[in-house]
Amino acid sequence: MDSVSLKHIENSKLQILSMTVLCIITFFTAIFALGLGSSVNLDFFSTMKIVFGFDSSDDMQSAIIWELRFPRILMAIIGGAALAIAGSLMQGCLGNPLVSPLTLGVASGAALGAALAIVLGFSIISNSDLAIVANAFLFSLIVVGVIIQLGNFRSVSAESYILVGIAITFIAGAIVSTMQYFATDAQLSQLAHWSFGSLSRPTLENTIWITVALVVLLPSALKKAWDLNSLALGGDDFAISTGVNPVKTRKEILVLSALMTSIVIAFTGLIGFVGLAAPHMGRLIVGNDYRKLIPCSAIFGSLLMLVADTIGRTLFAPIVMPVGIMLSVIGGPFFMYLLLRHRGAGH
Amino acid sequence: MSNILNVKDLNFSWGSTSVLKNISLSVKPNSLVSILGINGAGKTTLLKCLNRILSPSSGEIKVLSKKVSDLELPEVAKLISYVPQTVMSSFAMDVFDVVLLGRRPHINWSISQNDRDKVSETLRFLNFEDFAFRRFNELSGGERQKVIIAKAIAQDSSILLLDEPTSDLDLKNQVEVMKKIKELVSSNDLTKSALMATHDMNIAARFSDYILLLDKGEIKSEGSPEEVLTVQNIADVFGVECEIFPRTDKDPLRIFIRDSIVSENSEK
Repeated sequence: MDSVSLKHIENSKLQILSMTVLCIITFFTAIFALGLGSSVNLDFFSTMKIVFGFDSSDDMQSAIIWELRFPRILMAIIGGAALAIAGSLMQGCLGNPLVSPLTLGVASGAALGAALAIVLGFSIISNSDLAIVANAFLFSLIVVGVIIQLGNFRSVSAESYILVGIAITFIAGAIVSTMQYFATDAQLSQLAHWSFGSLSRPTLENTIWITVALVVLLPSALKKAWDLNSLALGGDDFAISTGVNPVKTRKEILVLSALMTSIVIAFTGLIGFVGLAAPHMGRLIVGNDYRKLIPCSAIFGSLLMLVADTIGRTLFAPIVMPVGIMLSVIGGPFFMYLLLRHRGAGH
Repeated sequence: MSNILNVKDLNFSWGSTSVLKNISLSVKPNSLVSILGINGAGKTTLLKCLNRILSPSSGEIKVLSKKVSDLELPEVAKLISYVPQTVMSSFAMDVFDVVLLGRRPHINWSISQNDRDKVSETLRFLNFEDFAFRRFNELSGGERQKVIIAKAIAQDSSILLLDEPTSDLDLKNQVEVMKKIKELVSSNDLTKSALMATHDMNIAARFSDYILLLDKGEIKSEGSPEEVLTVQNIADVFGVECEIFPRTDKDPLRIFIRDSIVSENSEK
């Protein structure tokens, strides 16, 4: 084996090691986050003892951790991972580093569904607890349907998807604004709260269903990793020259990522930043090889969401800041720092 | 010996504009075929039809006796590799990983040692080993062009399609890369050939075994460089006066362009 091949193997091993370290950091952050809150604050080791069942003396503390905080922490991990994966998939198949899971109008569809439930009381199901979630999910699925229809046109390009996404965003935004114009103060407040994006809404049962959906969708995304490498690097002609059908692949990937996004934001409301930033953070560690970028983006997505939510819960306790806001406030500057530092290092 | 590539009555149109008209050609093993013609003559379109980037309106393309239109894209990519004029990327990727994309048609998920070795060998073949772990998007245009040529070579296909492969290269690299391509197609492997679209007549004259001169989507002339690159053909197709210096023991066939021919219409 020659030195170039050896170095490539060494680089791969180093990247996998970095991802393992990131996983461990995410795990410890999750334990740390479980111990923090407005009611009971536990140090790291006390939390570990409760989590691993070595300390069952205080039922109250155990209940707070398992019943109140655990569903939220799990949702941060799963939701962050799903949105980050969706973002990385979209950026790759559209060959555009600026797109995020919200670019295709999936979020605007969800917002329209939520607004219809909140302002007009229109819902596809009678259960009032899930009316907003069901509407948000249905309307984001309608957008997924538009994407599928668009993908059936043989000549559809990456730019067409982005432009249609922008058009959907404008149309849905106009309808939501009209409803806001006629809404009551209470309805406006509820709609604004939904649009901030929060991890307090999903229950443990919801989160488990989201996890199952992610586990089902993830292998299909990973299977397309090589095709994404080709598409992201050189566009359609280059992809065809390596045996990839760009139109079919793009359509499949966009449907996958739109589904991942709609499943999460139907429960949490709008969370945008993580889907844009986490894939770029992943690229700083593993480059653009989607076999590693998909898992690495997922880890960064989970970590970002965990950190932002924990700060949002504890900074102004007992007031809880929505994770959507905290992600942009904390993640934005951190993301810029990472990118500038990376460029400064001459990479 | 049977041909590697056979094209019969190929036609292609953009809407109502006919770009390629009844193109028929055959490519023998171990040969480098150059396609010459003015801008818009159909050179790139012809290359893109051959590897299914574009779908011809009619006609038949066969590689090693297999009809290209009947094959799945990964199978086409095993037979034909393609070097586009330019590849721009917004994403950072190591040169090694870009060249590895040439192995895509042969890879399911994990990279085998054979794939890694093939990439290393190709980089070494092009004297480009030192660039293996540089970022592709931070290279110059010429360096990027060399990486994409390396990717096409690593693909290990029967036919190499090159769209102006030397347009961004400096003089030394133009000669080196063309020598390497010539070496590749002249190897003992009887299933290797290359088709190259180019504007550089001297490169075509020096390295080609066969030349195809396209004019308005039709084959104006074809044959050996001496047969095709005549003063009359060059004047008719390119609208320039030139002087031809025949091949000698020391020097290849050379074309010296003197001036553009001012047509009677433009004089008026």
